[in-house]
Amino acid sequence: MAATTSIETPQKILLTTSDNVELKVDRDVAERSILIKNLLEDLGGEGTEAIPIPNVNEAVMKKVLEWCEQHRKDAPATQDDDSDSRKKSTDIDEWDQKFMQVDQEMLFEIILAANYLDIKALLDVGCKTVANMIKGKSPDEIRKTFNIQNDFTPEEEDQIRRENEWAEDR
Amino acid sequence: MAAKDLSLTSLPTELLQAIFEYLPPEALVTCSGVSRRLRAIATLPALWRSQCQSRFKFWHTRHHISAKLGGPLTDTDWQSLFKERIAADRTTSGLLEEILASQKRQIANVAEIAALGYDAKDALLRECSVPNDTEDVLARRFYANATLDRIHREVAINVWKDLAKGTAVKLERALAAYDMFTLGTNAGDIDDITRFLDDLARSLRLENPTLGSLSTREQALTLASFLRSRNYRGVSEESYTALRNNFIGIVLSSEDHESLPLISVAIYCAVAERVGLDARPCGYPFHVYGIVHPPKGQTLDGKLASTTATPEHLYIDPFRSDLAVPEESLRTMLRQMGIHSSDHNNFLGDASTRGLVLRTARNIMNSVQTIRQTEEQLWANSSFRPPSWLSAFPDMDDAFYATLWSMLILGPGLEEDGSVASITTRRRQYLPYLCDHFQQHSPWDVTLIEEHIMPMFYNLPEGRRLLHHINSIHAADAKPKPVSARSEMTKKLTYKVGQVFHHRRYLYEGVITGWDSSCAAGEEWIRHMGVDHLSGGRDQGFYHVLVADKSMRYVAKENIEPVLSTYEPSQSMMKLAGRYFKRWDSNQGVFVSNIRDEYPDD
Repeated sequence: MAATTSIETPQKILLTTSDNVELKVDRDVAERSILIKNLLEDLGGEGTEAIPIPNVNEAVMKKVLEWCEQHRKDAPATQDDDSDSRKKSTDIDEWDQKFMQVDQEMLFEIILAANYLDIKALLDVGCKTVANMIKGKSPDEIRKTFNIQNDFTPEEEDQIRRENEWAEDR
Repeated sequence: MAAKDLSLTSLPTELLQAIFEYLPPEALVTCSGVSRRLRAIATLPALWRSQCQSRFKFWHTRHHISAKLGGPLTDTDWQSLFKERIAADRTTSGLLEEILASQKRQIANVAEIAALGYDAKDALLRECSVPNDTEDVLARRFYANATLDRIHREVAINVWKDLAKGTAVKLERALAAYDMFTLGTNAGDIDDITRFLDDLARSLRLENPTLGSLSTREQALTLASFLRSRNYRGVSEESYTALRNNFIGIVLSSEDHESLPLISVAIYCAVAERVGLDARPCGYPFHVYGIVHPPKGQTLDGKLASTTATPEHLYIDPFRSDLAVPEESLRTMLRQMGIHSSDHNNFLGDASTRGLVLRTARNIMNSVQTIRQTEEQLWANSSFRPPSWLSAFPDMDDAFYATLWSMLILGPGLEEDGSVASITTRRRQYLPYLCDHFQQHSPWDVTLIEEHIMPMFYNLPEGRRLLHHINSIHAADAKPKPVSARSEMTKKLTYKVGQVFHHRRYLYEGVITGWDSSCAAGEEWIRHMGVDHLSGGRDQGFYHVLVADKSMRYVAKENIEPVLSTYEPSQSMMKLAGRYFKRWDSNQGVFVSNIRDEYPDD
């Protein structure tokens, strides 16, 4: 009987975020997360119990679910995508680019959440976004962008500069 | 997990590493100078290993790259290795620029790049595919290709030299060396061929999971029918002599897998070896068969063999069928060929790898000869012969050149023909062809000749001549080209370097690469060519030309019919022209000279 209803209206499940908010979400959307998918499979039942997501708060979870909603029709991630990671293209599709226009804190939250929830495609988009923020910048610009303290001694800095000369002319 | 103060540097290492995976090497280097935390990430060996993998496909054998990639991550200083490869890339590019800038030290510079071996290949492949609108597109592609070919040939030569020294060389590698001579920018080098064979063996195992438990006979037949099911079915009568059937790499990578019996058997044996089956080629006359041996002490059907019985074996003919060939019918055919039965065992036993490489050389020579004869007949009644080399793969001249090398390196050895003197005589006959070929097509091979051929002829008259010749080539290479400037003297020279023309009598397409204000050839040539019978005689402009059929000629002005400025050169011409020209100028209808160091005013 559950099978017949799921064809007409997608099955809903409940998630409890770290700040104790319950979110109702379509099962196939939530299952973009391998973690949630596996949990649901392990629980086996109708999925009426709320699933606790202790590492992600409501704001971040909503954002992540927005992404999952958009990508609900994407092909499921395959187990060994290792070869893909070698094709280091940092191209990001337009919708994802817009989606990632958030403040840095949220960006890192999304990356952490994607990693925790095991949503590889979202993690990739997050990592690419940060990589694009680093690319083409000088050390100083990187420090400014990410608010990083230069903790090298002047001598160390000198040595690093010499070591890195090989990468310069090009 | 605290949401407060979340920043880049507070991300766990594995996530920072995941981010850094998307950075180009320059950015990684920059990050290593930002802070200690970022430095720790940016210098992780795993990141540099993937930089090495994604940036470079080809590696000099001395790196043992597959062993490194398969070994523990921290056993290799991946960042240093990357740096080293970048340096090789830059050296390659720098030397290529020098080659393109001046004819001086061209040979020396090609040799310097070639010394980097496969460490130069990635950079050269990039240069081979520069965009069409590159300022010196033709020259750049030409010399990148030429240098790459030179590197490929050296790989092949070293394989054959190992074989000649008695080092164990796998048959597929020894045959793949021929592919190296004709490879160009295509895939299909020795490593690719090895991979192809590994893949075949893997598929065979997948399709026949119980293969290992079968008897030797069943395994032998299973492999034979597997190869036939994969479209390895020899070749039809009419395309038997096609050149490509001799090249194991082309056979493996083509759709139809058409091949000569020798190659069919080589593939059979190579796959057999990979699944633990002992199959070897048999040196039967005119048609190579395979012999399959059961493990020691066993019969073909997996029984214990009696200690007194002669060991069993099985003949197969993967070129023709997936059935075993009865030994008796092989003996009958030998008798019909008039071979005495005391000699039969020679022809029914294992063939040496060296013997098969030489047999392939003879097969290639036969194919080349067939092609030449066919063309001869086809154009017998025509004074014009269109160049056909461009569309032919593999290239006939490259293939022929390969056989000269293999014959010289592996050619008749002591076991075949007794005395050292006779070996030398046999080798001698190939030397003039080899010299002709390299001088015309690839003068930068002089360094290969010097290293690998010269020692064979020490203390012989041709050795001394060869050495003299080699030295004069080096001497000329070390100096700037003598300058031929335009002056009062050259006023009657109508055409310039870069002018494309058709020969008035022979109709071929050519381009002018140099000139003399009167015929500067020797008296003998002048007489032989009947120069004095020309209406302008010997006292007219004479032009050095490069012809679309790859030849270089010397042509009187009166035989030059310049093309119209709207002309488009043939593809053959475009491919060859890079040796002297930067690009085709379609506005002027001429090739743009890259030899201004020699002809500054043209």
